[in-house]
Amino acid sequence: MTGTGETGVFIEHLFRHQAGRVVARLTRVLGPAHVALAEESVQEAMVRALQTWPYQGVPDNSAGWIFRVAHNVAIDALRRETVFGEKTEALVAELTRSAAVTLTEPDVEERLRDDELRMIFMCCHPALARDARVALSLKTIGGFSVREIARAFLAEDSAIAQRLVRAKRQIRDQRLTLDLPSGAELAARLDSVLEVLYFMFNEGYAAGEGEDLIRQDLCLEALRLGRLVASASIATPRVHALVALMALQGARLPARVDEAGELVLLEDQDRSRWDSRLIAMGFAHFDRCIAGEEVSEYHVQAAIAATHARAVDPGTVDWPVILTLYDQLLALNSSPVVRLNRAVVVARVHGPSAALAAIAGLDTDPRLRTYHLLMSVRGQLLFDLGRTQEAADAFTAALHHTRNEAERRFLRRRIQACTT
Amino acid sequence: MAKFMLLLYDDPSHWAKLGPEDMQKAIEKYMAWSKKPFTVDSQRLGEDAGRVIRSGSGKPRATDGPYSETKEVLGGFYTIEAANYDEAVTRALDHPHLLYGGTIEVRQLFGS
Repeated sequence: MTGTGETGVFIEHLFRHQAGRVVARLTRVLGPAHVALAEESVQEAMVRALQTWPYQGVPDNSAGWIFRVAHNVAIDALRRETVFGEKTEALVAELTRSAAVTLTEPDVEERLRDDELRMIFMCCHPALARDARVALSLKTIGGFSVREIARAFLAEDSAIAQRLVRAKRQIRDQRLTLDLPSGAELAARLDSVLEVLYFMFNEGYAAGEGEDLIRQDLCLEALRLGRLVASASIATPRVHALVALMALQGARLPARVDEAGELVLLEDQDRSRWDSRLIAMGFAHFDRCIAGEEVSEYHVQAAIAATHARAVDPGTVDWPVILTLYDQLLALNSSPVVRLNRAVVVARVHGPSAALAAIAGLDTDPRLRTYHLLMSVRGQLLFDLGRTQEAADAFTAALHHTRNEAERRFLRRRIQACTT
Repeated sequence: MAKFMLLLYDDPSHWAKLGPEDMQKAIEKYMAWSKKPFTVDSQRLGEDAGRVIRSGSGKPRATDGPYSETKEVLGGFYTIEAANYDEAVTRALDHPHLLYGGTIEVRQLFGS
């Protein structure tokens, strides 16, 4: 990896990914209890880059520069602090060895991936609360800042910072390790990893904060980490199913917002703007996920995304197949959100009246009572039935329950369509 | 064309709050500015506060500083070309350093 010195523009997210990688490496050497020191060392290395490169130019191997300087900062910290006691010299020696590698060598690359993988598994340890797992994964492996995580989850910076401090204390107190579990414990941990990645992806995908690109970064980071897990020997078909799902859905990200920043519904999306590289990646993982016997929710959702991706234009989407898949999904997970999504497909296959019947009663479910998408779907079905006054009321109710600006503009346009 | 020195002061603790992505963006902005055709030279200074030697009364003495009282340190400098102070200031005003809470001192090189 090189920083392209001439233009001063780096590989996209170079710092973010390099941060995660070097934190994982340093934590592997220092031990999980010292993940904070690893993070501070990497942060300091990046500050030094910022203080140096604008005057002296970007080094040819900018990723290697950050890697080496972070090691040196950690070595200085070890010598300055006394917490490591008699282990100090041994750790300094190991860090010195670790700093001397050439990043582009294949076996080094493989070792760094292994560090990252172990780090993901530790961050997703069931001893930590799910919120903490997500925040910790984003911070330590994803290279997200506290502010970015707070923005992505519409939380206060201080709340996220506290969550991270608590999580790191738990790592220390419960003596969590970077060892990969085996047997049944491995399966359970892998499920936790997938759950965290899936949550991360959905948070990013459920455009909660308008034009803010941070959400798209969440999706892409979840996908990157998913691929990392999928490339490991411990990967199961379920891992490939989740990666397929994220890649196929992520492929639509560029088409979900038009030039004016307005939301575009799936059926109206310009399919030429779908990311063909991600679609190919999604299908490759999809092929691998059907290798086993198991059919998980991820499998079914990946199959739904694949069916959409196979259609060359919105008119050729195989809705009956998608409805069958939704029935399967509902059997695996009878959540009201799945029922709502299924109803949208019912409208395609059996018309808006059948779909209205399919969402009957959902509005009394406490989990969906204030869910703007339910109101918005209801509005659209009523609109399609020509019941424009009721449709306008439903869209208005939806408007009251979302803070996302792009969605609000979308809903105002729908309300206007009802009255003209 | 006259030459001017831009002295960039910053408070390193400002950077502590930025995440990797913010840092990358900041460096990209800094690099883009430093590639401008009017930049003649640039040099970063050591990250410590350095030493100051004052003659005062009696024997000259070296002390740490001069920044012991303030958090701002002189981080580095650029030499740029400009027709006059106004142009030099206009060019410095574009510098991203000012977006990140830094201070820039503009001085003309004597006789240039």
